[in-house]
Amino acid sequence: MRTTIAVLIVVAACAVTPAQSAQPSAALCQSPQAPAGAHEVAAELDKLRPLLTDKQRADLDRPLSAASAIRWSNLPIGIVPRSGLRLGDLDDRQAAAARAVFSAALSPCGLAMLDQVRLADDSLVPFDKRPIGWGGGNYYLSVLGDSSSKAPWMLQIGGHHLAYNFTFKGREAGATPLFVGTEPIRFEIRGQQVEPMDAQSHAMSRLAAAIASQPKARLSGTFTDVVKGVVVTDVPGGMPTGGTDTGFPQSYPAGDIDRGIKVSALSPEQRELVRAAIASFAQLPDSAISGALLADYLSPAALDQTYVGFAGSPNLTTQGSYVRVDGPRAWIELVVQRAIAQPDQLHYHALWRDKQSDYGGEVRR
Amino acid sequence: MRALAIFLGMLAGTAFAHSAPNSTLRLEFRADAVHAEYWVPVSELAYARAADPAGEEFSAYLLRHFAVETPGGKAWRVTVDRIHEAEYLEHAFMVVELRLVPPADAAPREFVLVDDTVTHEVHNHMVFVVARHGNRADMLGALQYPAKRLVVAPRQTAR
Repeated sequence: MRTTIAVLIVVAACAVTPAQSAQPSAALCQSPQAPAGAHEVAAELDKLRPLLTDKQRADLDRPLSAASAIRWSNLPIGIVPRSGLRLGDLDDRQAAAARAVFSAALSPCGLAMLDQVRLADDSLVPFDKRPIGWGGGNYYLSVLGDSSSKAPWMLQIGGHHLAYNFTFKGREAGATPLFVGTEPIRFEIRGQQVEPMDAQSHAMSRLAAAIASQPKARLSGTFTDVVKGVVVTDVPGGMPTGGTDTGFPQSYPAGDIDRGIKVSALSPEQRELVRAAIASFAQLPDSAISGALLADYLSPAALDQTYVGFAGSPNLTTQGSYVRVDGPRAWIELVVQRAIAQPDQLHYHALWRDKQSDYGGEVRR
Repeated sequence: MRALAIFLGMLAGTAFAHSAPNSTLRLEFRADAVHAEYWVPVSELAYARAADPAGEEFSAYLLRHFAVETPGGKAWRVTVDRIHEAEYLEHAFMVVELRLVPPADAAPREFVLVDDTVTHEVHNHMVFVVARHGNRADMLGALQYPAKRLVVAPRQTAR
């Protein structure tokens, strides 16, 4: 049996086995401390800033605008350069203070995800011959807006395969867009197996397997990436690359066609798998950030109006396999892609959006 | 053609930088017509053509999936001037140069793009529509499944 073992600074509570990951309990992802909100995150940022150079503070703190908010990507920094405080440049004291910020904003599972995705990126460095900037050091922390004011502000933590976009004091509680990917899917460090998206991939896979026999659950078409993915990179005079925030706000499928099967038609056991799949993503931020969203998504009324669908292989072992949860607010999708560093392997991309509160409802174009 | 389908499939297996490049329709609004350069990624086109295996030349396939009409529904004349291959961000693209000519009573300005060249099959695929002005490009809109119609109108500053 495969096991995922937390390594280095990864929190042990998130090292769930495949059996556990079908129904990740809230307890697994809960912080031992009380939920941390905007005030706690801002307080940790206030401890970090005095440790930074002027240049680093300027990198960390930038104005909040639509353009800066949507500046995240699933591409390495060599293709889509990031702004912010580069984690690979921090000394030990700065890194410890930055980690306190992460701990305030993330659940133990979200923190483990950050650590493990960075480790996965580190494992790609020997393959980066061009180079395009793989590596766990190339992840960034940004504050958009004034974290000490009553006005909306954002905390962004991310790099190649991770984008945490948390909005505080916005119109809505903002935990999204939240992108996570991993290449490789699993890898070994000091004899221990690491699988960053173990909980999410198993939860989505078990859901797909449970609904696979129902024709309405199978989505048409081919999926080569997530549908509501990355932002455009503006190359003057050049072609846009990336995805759908170009036309923000998003348009989502409507009606009943090609959205999968409605959760109201599922058995209690299948509904529980839907709940587990949603929770595996929504429990990555600290519960002060995403707890209310999760409660909303899992309310009986919202769950009944949610669609779940899949394409490809329910066990996520083939390129193009895809699983989606499409609720009144929640949009969660996971796709299996060919790996880039080692093309005979696969890798995951996944995205959680909230149809109402992406960017805290603060970005309108 | 079968040979083209095999070629496209081979290229699809070698796309390197990242797995899902999107399409871009670059428009130049001229006095009597709109000139378009349609960049379609070979990897994604291969999936679309495999799902629609009519065995025709690419230009015929394209014209079956790509059309332009007035907002009132009158068809524009669409002709393929040239097709070549190019690379952008390490992805192979088919670059189709198109001439879009409005009906006699319509100006080459606002139109409705009807296109599912790739999106009929690749449901995450995006088609970005931009207006080119020298070294500048204005984003005019984007298409993604299930939508296949987009009202395209150049901004006033584009004149």
